[in-house]
Amino acid sequence: MAPLQKRALLSLIAGLVFAIALVVVFITRDITTFDEDQGFRLIVYALWIAVPLAYLIIVNLTLRKPELTDERDRLILVKAPKTQYVAILFSLAAWVIVLTEVFWDTGEVPVIFLTLIMISTLIISTLAQSLGILIGYWRMNADG
Amino acid sequence: MAKLSNRIRRLRFDNDEMTQEELAGRAGCTRQTIIALEKGKYVPSIVLAFRIARSLGVSIEDVFQYE
Repeated sequence: MAPLQKRALLSLIAGLVFAIALVVVFITRDITTFDEDQGFRLIVYALWIAVPLAYLIIVNLTLRKPELTDERDRLILVKAPKTQYVAILFSLAAWVIVLTEVFWDTGEVPVIFLTLIMISTLIISTLAQSLGILIGYWRMNADG
Repeated sequence: MAKLSNRIRRLRFDNDEMTQEELAGRAGCTRQTIIALEKGKYVPSIVLAFRIARSLGVSIEDVFQYE
């Protein structure tokens, strides 16, 4: 397994664990707690900035070591954003459909959902990049 | 459809059984790329093709064949 492929796999697993943990926290503590509890809010803000940042640093460190990557890895990395675009579009479409259906009668969406949309977009974008890298390796090994 | 084949594996063995790792080090790529090339799963850039040929001590036409 190529070093970049290994890191993408690890990032995907770590990102999924983080995303699931975040969803569990939001469900168990009730979404309204986020609005009222400033400490909880700050922790969540710090996490969703720290995790993608850590991911970017790891990927960049891999790319800066010439012995760990070559032209084939960079070709795969260049194609990975295609997966990101699709994932982000689908997630935004899902948000629009769900929020429209849920809040249609009241005619207004709580402000908290702006933050949630931003957090989910960032997480999905990061996860999709890892997924895009893994798909790239898989397709290159399958198609030639 | 045109296909690019190569004799990297054969030439490695002709060069004192050079390992994939060794060739990768000399050509400036990863071992995984050498594996992909030998399996015909990846078409290298012209620069990498030249580096591989040079590492194996032969001309580029001796390594890669366009069919």
